[in-house]
Amino acid sequence: MKSPREIIKTALEEGRNKLLEHEAFEIAKYYGIPVPEGTLVRSSKEAYDVADSIGYPAVVKVVSPDIVHKSDVGGVKLNLKSREEVAKAVEEMEKTIPLKAPGARIVGYIVYRMMPPGLEVIVGGIRDGVFGPAVMFGLGGIFVEVLKDVTFRIAPISYEDALEMINEIKAYRILEGYRGQPPVDKKALADIIVKLGNMMLDLEEIESVDLNPVIAYPSGAVAVDVRILLKKPGSTQH
Amino acid sequence: MSDASSLKVFLNPRSIAVIGASRTPGKIGYEVVKNLINYGYKGKIYPVNPNATEVLGLKAYPSVLSIPDEVDVAVVTVPAQLVPQVIEESGRKGVKVAVVITAGFSEVGNVELEEKIVKIARSYGMRILGPNIFGYVYTPANINATFGPTEVVKGGIGFITQSGALGIALMGWTILHEIGLSAIFSMGNMADIDVVEVSELLAEDPYTKVVAIYLEGIKPGKGREFIERMSKVTQKKPVVVIKAGVSERGAKAVASHTGSLAGADALYEAAFKQAGIIRARTLLELFNIARGFALQPVPKGENTVIITNGGGAGVLATDTAELNGVKLLEPSQELMDKFRQTMPWFGSPKNPVDLTGQAVVDNYIKALKVAVEAPEIDNIVIIYCRTAVLDPMELAKAIVEFYKENNVTKTTVVSMIGGADVEQAIKHLNRNSIPAYPTPEEAVFVLSRMLMYKRYLERIKKAS
Repeated sequence: MKSPREIIKTALEEGRNKLLEHEAFEIAKYYGIPVPEGTLVRSSKEAYDVADSIGYPAVVKVVSPDIVHKSDVGGVKLNLKSREEVAKAVEEMEKTIPLKAPGARIVGYIVYRMMPPGLEVIVGGIRDGVFGPAVMFGLGGIFVEVLKDVTFRIAPISYEDALEMINEIKAYRILEGYRGQPPVDKKALADIIVKLGNMMLDLEEIESVDLNPVIAYPSGAVAVDVRILLKKPGSTQH
Repeated sequence: MSDASSLKVFLNPRSIAVIGASRTPGKIGYEVVKNLINYGYKGKIYPVNPNATEVLGLKAYPSVLSIPDEVDVAVVTVPAQLVPQVIEESGRKGVKVAVVITAGFSEVGNVELEEKIVKIARSYGMRILGPNIFGYVYTPANINATFGPTEVVKGGIGFITQSGALGIALMGWTILHEIGLSAIFSMGNMADIDVVEVSELLAEDPYTKVVAIYLEGIKPGKGREFIERMSKVTQKKPVVVIKAGVSERGAKAVASHTGSLAGADALYEAAFKQAGIIRARTLLELFNIARGFALQPVPKGENTVIITNGGGAGVLATDTAELNGVKLLEPSQELMDKFRQTMPWFGSPKNPVDLTGQAVVDNYIKALKVAVEAPEIDNIVIIYCRTAVLDPMELAKAIVEFYKENNVTKTTVVSMIGGADVEQAIKHLNRNSIPAYPTPEEAVFVLSRMLMYKRYLERIKKAS
């Protein structure tokens, strides 16, 4: 397994400032942020071989530095329930994506466990000119998009600060369970906030991170989508 | 750089030279000397002016080097192009800090000249306040080294301002409203000494009870250091900040979802929280809150009682309490019975305790006695609406007397609502260490911020 620094170095050498899914997952995992079990495969045969070890239902996504909207080109298949379905999903992508996105480089296909539904929250990291790395927390969907109900702290963030963030958003009651929903694991979310702060402090090449969504459960939380943007080569912190 | 002890000379200089002292009223070099004299500075004042033998009755010197004494502080008012030479001479003279009032440096793009004076000062181990400032004030030593108003009211608020024009206007405003200050520092371009260092200085000053800051911004890359150092300041003294301007962040971070939501203001908000700084949203809030801290002890508990002679004012106070996390005590039957004894039969002993519009001094003092004696009550809000039966000054005097005689240490804020005579009563309370405000919302809001600081201190204590 490559270290976060090696992953970043490779990306920058290849002129990429957005890390690929499996790279982003690996870095998050390295810093102790829970992500779904998954692996990168190069072919439908490989997908068939690894599917059982990941478990079901599974998700397959195309991994390409050139494709921004994966769903639009048929590059996302959800809820796959057997090794046959996983292999078939990859096979279809191998056929259709070159037609829908001609010339796009395809690194492979990431196969990972599809997480059960839970409460979707967002944890994000940014690097600011005055304050350096900062971490954001908010609830997913309209809470962030429309109401901008988010809160920030500057890294390093103490565990108590992280808990305070979770408790100070306007919609915090939703986290405590409403309409028969169980409360979610705030400690697990605080842990992710602290760890993302540490990751941003450690890896100065990172410009921003979106863990969107993080699915929160009564016990535990998992970042099911990890996006990491690097500073553009040559750009310097002002 | 971060050594606040090199700034201590601001608080007890043996001598102050005014380089650029003038004989012409209205000129900055004249006004500074005049303020130093008239505000009663007891150290030596040395006007420096090569074309004068005397300024405002004081012997003038052609250069700082010709002063036959040590000079601790040099206030510089000469034109910008002459400042490097003056700094050089001050350095040679052994001046400890130069207060460079002169404008015309980085604020107008003249970065080189500013860097030059800092470099010269550093080579002599001299510190620079400014340039582009209106000076500084330290009331316990009767120092008014500004060209602003003279009669700054003494008190416990250390005011630091990054804006010159606004700062000098607020000097006058604090005099009008009798807001007592320990110090005023105009920061200007902060070529050397910055807001954090002055905060650290004031945190150690026994006369400063609270630091109030008008902040325009933190320099790039200095945010983390600001949080770390200011969180040490806030462990010693409360700090209230008004942050002006939400500067444009570069488009660089907006590529990410998080970046698009991270306005500069959200990050300042975060930084203030992490540093334990209380944020004011308006200038009025800044000085209202600061006055609360300057005059009253930090609350010891959460339970608050409101004592009023008007139902409406009580309800407004209750609304503000609820919106801002001030916990109103649910009085026990026993406590209600005691409050009942202090009011007419149609009053209400619940919280707010409503003494009714018929209340006179005796009702208030009796109710205050109950509140002060009740161990479950931590904080008291006194509200008075002007009525025909109770003269505001009479009440204000009685409250002051009661608090002094009984040595009350429960955090108290007062609101008096009414006309010109009420304004006089508010002033009487403020002069006697009881913060009073013209509306119930302001009084309760101030208490809410004092409670925030109490919770912050408790959290720090728990964590360590």
